[in-house]
Amino acid sequence: MSSPHPACREIESDLLAVASGEAAPAAAERVEGHVVGCGPCREELRHYRAIEGFVGELRRAPLPGDDAVLARAELESRLADLRRRLVSFGVFSSPLGPILIARSELGVSLVRYLAGRGPVASEVRRHLGKEAIEDRAATDALYAELVDYIEGRRTRLDWPLDLRGARSDFQRRVLDATAQLPYGAVASYAGIARRIGAPTAARPVAQALRWNPLPIVIPCHRVIGSSGALVGYAGRKVALKQRLLAIEGVRAVPARGDFRVPREAMYALHVGESEYCLPICGSLASRPLSELVLFGSRERAEAAGFAPCTSCRPDLHPLSA
Amino acid sequence: MPRVMADDDPFAAVVGSHHAEIRRYLLRITARVSDADDLSQETFLRAFRAHRSLPAGANVRAWLFAIATNLCRNHFRAQTRRRRAYAAAALDRSETDPGWPEGEAVAGETRARIEGVVAGLPIKQRLAFIMRKLHDLDYTTIGGSLDCSEESARAHVFQALRKIRRGLDGLILAKTESQP
Repeated sequence: MSSPHPACREIESDLLAVASGEAAPAAAERVEGHVVGCGPCREELRHYRAIEGFVGELRRAPLPGDDAVLARAELESRLADLRRRLVSFGVFSSPLGPILIARSELGVSLVRYLAGRGPVASEVRRHLGKEAIEDRAATDALYAELVDYIEGRRTRLDWPLDLRGARSDFQRRVLDATAQLPYGAVASYAGIARRIGAPTAARPVAQALRWNPLPIVIPCHRVIGSSGALVGYAGRKVALKQRLLAIEGVRAVPARGDFRVPREAMYALHVGESEYCLPICGSLASRPLSELVLFGSRERAEAAGFAPCTSCRPDLHPLSA
Repeated sequence: MPRVMADDDPFAAVVGSHHAEIRRYLLRITARVSDADDLSQETFLRAFRAHRSLPAGANVRAWLFAIATNLCRNHFRAQTRRRRAYAAAALDRSETDPGWPEGEAVAGETRARIEGVVAGLPIKQRLAFIMRKLHDLDYTTIGGSLDCSEESARAHVFQALRKIRRGLDGLILAKTESQP
């Protein structure tokens, strides 16, 4: 054992492989040939085989503390908690520029226009927190629908939404009311304020929509100023608002550095009525915009479930395009 | 309507198939129930965060062993904790050695001796040995877990075997010579 023969030293790891049952055929043959004539190595092989046997018993022997039931239950509860907090996101290029889409277990939680430069990661962390995972597969289907929407092939995004990130109950109510606005319609900030029972809160409504976590999906682009001016969108992206409205058939015309939706060229619905009208019907022209919803076309008004007014008859006297 | 959300969590099946084994592996390495619980939980929480980026058809078991092994190595990197775990390993084993039937006394002693040697192995050899011999993982997987080549993984296991062999001198002789 103190100074083994060179041949024994050379065969030693093959011998271990043989004992472990993982030797290549050639090595097994070498070992076999060697141990026939070498007593000490034959003995070593026997020892290593015996060790394999004991290790096998060890593997089958009961292991103290090997009861995973409690640990498993604890893990399941941590996983459930993580699932609730976990957000998957994807960054996509869209006709409106780079867009981030994020979703949780409950639904879509964030849509965000990205600046297009700089690291996305920091923006993601800021908006989604640390439990955010880039996972395009989880958001691919959403992206495809969003592109269909932006390109006018789809008029609804019926996504389950996760609004747990809403800043306040007030904002949640504003977002809910805004989500009710039909495709191709516009209402005013004051109009949304009225709908949520806070008629003087037009400015807070505008603020709440400024921080809309789900632009496009919750169509804050359909909410405009009382004068018909677009006012603002996702910071300073008014041109984007005009573009989204154009997709839905609402024309906004340039006006003093902003855009304005011309009331006189829109069909109007008095909130609470079931019929839509020409803009000059009855006293409509003198009503504040907050009492109205405007439609860019009869098709859109009718698709939203409203009938033509039986006195002004927009069906017989359509507005010229 | 929630069409795009339809998403049964395939991770539940991952937990179901592998949690018990990964915990057993960690229990063997750390010899402490509380460490095995913590590390196995952390293994699966990490796996959960990352499993969506796992390519289809990936070897999930090998991947989980790699995560667990990494966590173990980090765990033992703190010197004091390592010492404590080694001491605990020796202690736990002598205390919890199940009472083997009379005729099995030698075999029981041999197993205990093997466990003692394994508990004292350098961490990489210990991890490699336990993965190979007690969890039947192949050397590719072990190399992947230990950030080394297949060859080094095998060398770690063989080195462990040599030390066990030396640690068993005398005991093993009795056993083998009584066998046909």
